[in-house]
Amino acid sequence: MTQIPLTYYLILSAFLLCSGLLIVLIKKNAVFVLIGIELMLNAANLNLVAFSKFDPELNGQVFAIFSVVIAAAEAAIALAILLNIYKTYDTSDLDDLNTLKH
Amino acid sequence: MGISEVLTVFFGLMIVLPVLYLLFTNNIIRAAFAFVISLLGLAAVYVLLHAELMAVVQIMIYAGGVIVLLIFGIMLTKRVSEAGVFTQHRGVVLGGAVSTVFFLLLVKWILAAGLKWPNVEVSGQDQVRKIGILFLTDHLIAFEVIAFLLLVALVGAAFLAKKSGNA
Repeated sequence: MTQIPLTYYLILSAFLLCSGLLIVLIKKNAVFVLIGIELMLNAANLNLVAFSKFDPELNGQVFAIFSVVIAAAEAAIALAILLNIYKTYDTSDLDDLNTLKH
Repeated sequence: MGISEVLTVFFGLMIVLPVLYLLFTNNIIRAAFAFVISLLGLAAVYVLLHAELMAVVQIMIYAGGVIVLLIFGIMLTKRVSEAGVFTQHRGVVLGGAVSTVFFLLLVKWILAAGLKWPNVEVSGQDQVRKIGILFLTDHLIAFEVIAFLLLVALVGAAFLAKKSGNA
């Protein structure tokens, strides 16, 4: 049985990383930018899992699970902050948020 | 072409196509649901990579938790009674150029590296058991620290959301 080469997963992960980067760069809405950040974290996880496929110690998977937990905490905090920003400035467009002091 | 190749290509497309839709759409709600499809495709790819626990974690935490948070965020920060929930773009040409060049460079480097799978068998061990033991032995400090971090983050998020409710 032939195997799917490791390169396939690495290129898939590179695509996810660059799409996440593009979304972070071009979208104006803060929630959309969060989706882009989650995409980039997922690209990193895919790499970790792919590299640990044949690792009997499963180090890559353990690291990927830690990174998923960090991503969940980050999403919760980011959305709480986003709700506060929306309450204060009445917008969630990143271009409109250009003052430190209200 | 065996079944595993067909499945790999299928789930690869299941990841790539929604992400392409994400890049071109303006509608944030539709984007969030396309992102769910992409995350489920990633979970399937984890199964193909013999990482079953990671696939379950992906479905529970990403497709279950993070997406619900994102949709709450969309619903609470937009007046849904308006015509729709849309975003705008800025710096499309520059951003597109930067990320396309970065992608092509990454592909070039990956192909140049020419990494291969090691020539060993997949060990048919019980992964959940193994990872559970690893968490409480080798990675004990990291496990405790991340548990504390999650607690602090969730209490902090609840506090921030509550304060915004009173203000």
